[in-house]
Amino acid sequence: LKTAVITNIQSYSIHDGPGIRTTVFMKGCPLSCAWCANPETLCGKPDISYNSNLCVHCGRCAESCVQGAVDLERKYIIDRDKCARCFDCVGVCFYGALAQQGEEMTSAEVYDKVRRDKMFYDSSGGGVTFSGGEPLVKPQFVAEVAERLGFEGIRSCVETCGAVPWSAFETILPYVELIYFDLKLIDEKKHRKYTGAGNSLILENAQRINAGCVDVIFRRPLIPEINADLEETVATAEFLQKMGSPQLELLPYHRLGLSKYELLAMQCNLSELQPAEKGNVEAVCNVYRQHGIKCKIVS
Amino acid sequence: LFIGINEALLKRIDGLKLSQRNSDWRNAVKAAPWRISADREQWTVKSWTQTEDEDIQIRRAKLVAAVLDGIEINIHPFDEIVGRPTPWVIGCCTAIDVNGDYIPGLLSDNEIDLTMGAHTSINGESAAILRRAVEVFGGKTMREATTEAWRQLVGEWAENAEAAKLKDPSLDAAITGQSTSVLSWRKILRVGLYGYLEEAKAHINEFLRKKDSDIGKFYFWQSSIIVLEAVIRHAGRYGELAARMAAEAGGAERERLTKIAEVCKYVPQNPARTFHEALQSMQFCNLGKMLENPTQNNCHWGRADQYLYPFFIRDLESGIPLEELSSQFADLVGRWGTQTFVSGATQKESHQINFGINSIMVGGLGQDNQDQSNELSYLTLHLAALLNLSSPTVCLRWNEKTPKWLMNKAIRTNLKTKGGIPLFENDEVVVNRYLKDGIPFAEAVEWVSLGCVYPCLPTRAEHYGAEGVAAFNLAGLLHLVLHNGTDINGNQTGLQTGNPREFKSVEALYEAFLKQHEFFCHRIFWLGAVARNVQSAYFRTPLLSVLGIEASMELGQDLLLPHPDYSMYGMSDRAIIDVADSLIAIDNLVFKTKTLTMSQLIDVLDSDFEGVRGEEVRQLCLRQPKFGNDIAEVDELVCRISKDSVGIIRAYDNAPFRPMMISREGLAWHYFGGRGVGALPNGRKALAPLNDGSLSPMRGADKNGPTAVLRSALTANYSEVSYASVLNQKFSASLLAGDENIEKLIAYTNAYMSSGGSHIQYNIIDTEELRAAKLKPEEYSDLVVRIGGFSAYFVQLSPEIQDDVIYRKEYSI
Repeated sequence: LKTAVITNIQSYSIHDGPGIRTTVFMKGCPLSCAWCANPETLCGKPDISYNSNLCVHCGRCAESCVQGAVDLERKYIIDRDKCARCFDCVGVCFYGALAQQGEEMTSAEVYDKVRRDKMFYDSSGGGVTFSGGEPLVKPQFVAEVAERLGFEGIRSCVETCGAVPWSAFETILPYVELIYFDLKLIDEKKHRKYTGAGNSLILENAQRINAGCVDVIFRRPLIPEINADLEETVATAEFLQKMGSPQLELLPYHRLGLSKYELLAMQCNLSELQPAEKGNVEAVCNVYRQHGIKCKIVS
Repeated sequence: LFIGINEALLKRIDGLKLSQRNSDWRNAVKAAPWRISADREQWTVKSWTQTEDEDIQIRRAKLVAAVLDGIEINIHPFDEIVGRPTPWVIGCCTAIDVNGDYIPGLLSDNEIDLTMGAHTSINGESAAILRRAVEVFGGKTMREATTEAWRQLVGEWAENAEAAKLKDPSLDAAITGQSTSVLSWRKILRVGLYGYLEEAKAHINEFLRKKDSDIGKFYFWQSSIIVLEAVIRHAGRYGELAARMAAEAGGAERERLTKIAEVCKYVPQNPARTFHEALQSMQFCNLGKMLENPTQNNCHWGRADQYLYPFFIRDLESGIPLEELSSQFADLVGRWGTQTFVSGATQKESHQINFGINSIMVGGLGQDNQDQSNELSYLTLHLAALLNLSSPTVCLRWNEKTPKWLMNKAIRTNLKTKGGIPLFENDEVVVNRYLKDGIPFAEAVEWVSLGCVYPCLPTRAEHYGAEGVAAFNLAGLLHLVLHNGTDINGNQTGLQTGNPREFKSVEALYEAFLKQHEFFCHRIFWLGAVARNVQSAYFRTPLLSVLGIEASMELGQDLLLPHPDYSMYGMSDRAIIDVADSLIAIDNLVFKTKTLTMSQLIDVLDSDFEGVRGEEVRQLCLRQPKFGNDIAEVDELVCRISKDSVGIIRAYDNAPFRPMMISREGLAWHYFGGRGVGALPNGRKALAPLNDGSLSPMRGADKNGPTAVLRSALTANYSEVSYASVLNQKFSASLLAGDENIEKLIAYTNAYMSSGGSHIQYNIIDTEELRAAKLKPEEYSDLVVRIGGFSAYFVQLSPEIQDDVIYRKEYSI
């Protein structure tokens, strides 16, 4: 059985596809977008988080740590270079200040959790959505879970950034009914600057997946000052036009992920960025619509 | 989709607003002080002192007649339906004739400070009337006689058990003697009170012809004639007042008052002909009922959308505007929803003076086993949203055939009212339980709920609570086990089940719990049966009997004299989830991991988790597996306690009456019940509220999302043993924004109910609630921020970001 590191299996998800869904958040991503709202999923391994608001400085964590990685005087308590991720400290933290982010699970375990909500999928036309992180970093895992769920009549969706080899798509396609495909930036330079990788593979995959027979909805996280300007918008619209104008959903930037950077002692380079005004988001949406693209704002 | 339903009419209903009259009433209610009226006691005293040598049945009837004939009446400028128990917009009468001196502070000074933010002042003249009433009735009421009987049998035990919140209600909680609360509306509207009078007279003639000797029956029929005629005279007084006021008024006002005068001269004695007459007839009957016994004697609608439908449709077809009918309906729904009552000392902490708990049913199966939802069901929901009152409880009788258009309106109504209106109760579960208990389908299918979710048959007298027996507190019993039978106040109320520090296994502790349970509930039932035998010597309810239960007229018997054919008894065994979570924690911490000894645990509990070590243990307790997370071990334990408890309750020999029905209600009781329970091993602090509802997880303990809660609830399987259960779930408003998401919540509700869930209701989290979550993260640790592709727990966000979520509308949570 394949395994993957899962941060959360969220039931009653209603924004990630048709009907009532369970969203499986997987860890690990080939991109590192500056605006990422789920920074805990960037790294592929289980990680440790520290919430100073809950900490009473009882010192049990320091006592439990054989690596000597805990120092109560430090702002984030844990020296992440020394930390061996054994999570002994999490076990002795009575107050929930320390927490493990991500747990390795087998495809069978994930299948078992997801299938429990079958009655809700059946009554609403829902199913499971694999998200992350980037689920297609573990295509075989996704395929295993989705195939087993398929035997029970539970349908699967995948949310992907597209920055994975085409073979990953081929692995999962037989078991998936809908793909949410992120188009973050058309400008290659900017893409490299803000996501840490180029976009040629992504754009190629976008065209291939769109030409295939699975349903695809493209998604664009709408980030002020980065990809919400007219030039980028028109370029993206034209790219979509060339593919026959598939559906597009806009996800306006929000700051909710910022707290998580703090918990993980990570830096967020966009910490000052404010969400766009509602009117501006609608203006961008209208540009897409003027290009004949069915565009909708999701929030 | 809309088979047999006038879709255009539904659209018109969607557009309805509150009428000017309704709005004027609402403003008056908001501005009005809550008042207690002494007027009724003038007439009770007068009548009672004049009837000393007469039979109790006749005495009570004459007392009711004297009150109806004498009490001050009033018509307000916004009234279309007239009649209130006091001349004020918000007012209630006292019931010293029923309960004696039961209002704390009544005689000590002139200013009674009542809880719930209500202040009621009584002037010197009124105080004198009340004092006189206490002189006449004090010490000679059924409450006092029952208390005395109980003292003779078990000493102070019953009072101690009440003080420790182990049993509920206390005798002064003002539901004593209240046997049923839903009047036979269908028959009242069909035959009018003249119809009832003819029946009573026919029975009397038959009695005389047969030379029958059961004089009690003769008195009963006589008493019913006395009260029915008094209700008709009372209506007539309103008619005359309206006519007098009309003579002095002009224009539209004159028209309104003239119409009122006409209606009041026709109903309730005649069968109603119009929607207006039907509602007015109901109000007069209800007034009679309230003035007969003004304790917590609520104005229950029952299945209004069924029995009022023919009047509604006929009026619409004859050209009466929908707006007018809606205004009349809203008038009475609002009035019944804001009827107050005053109760005794032991309720002081929770609700000494409060709105009555009444209920109105929407939809549900009919005699043909088809769903009966109609346009009036839809209007009921619409008005409930416009009025947005805490009463009535609006209960949608969900079944597999409930139409989608009604569910859609129901979820939208929830959104508008911040939730709870309507709640969903499973029609099929309730009907099946009645069938299993041997009630014929024709009766079972007409069930209505009383107040919250407690089902009741309009054809039978429900004694729930009437003899001081309604509910007991399982968490309180666990407290007894953990203190060898000593309750929170230090009284030896429970059995001595052994030194709790010496339990060797959780099974041994559970055995002790079941022993307490059996001792307790059988003793309560016994005392209830004693109360039943005492009370009829002091009190009767001829009006409630004759208009409430058709069999009462047939048998010639007052409801205070129970009869196996119509008397029903029930019990709510509360706080099962608190007990299950606590037992799991004890088992894990003491017996499995041996983290603590039993002795250490009890010390920490008795100190209420004091100090650093105490808080650590509490955190440890909170982290133990909890109900509501789809964890088999816990959910199955809940199921086991549920079944064991029912086994004990049903083993009580309630002959000649039916075995106790189990009905796990308790919408707001958890605050009250918590006052009797010390710190618990589930991590709950002493005296804190218990879990709300009867099937809701501990606050903040459900960490696997809402669907896991429902799966746990299904595993607990209350539906197999209980008529009702209560499961509250919180959803944020944005989860319901947009048609698509409303459809999803309908699908969610349908999935749960069709899998056998018996009740669900939604609370909608608004900005205010989010602020609370920020302050009390522990209670909201399950609150998830849901946005496409993003996931986080609200309480884990930094305070600054939490503010973003709270104040900025573009975020949905």
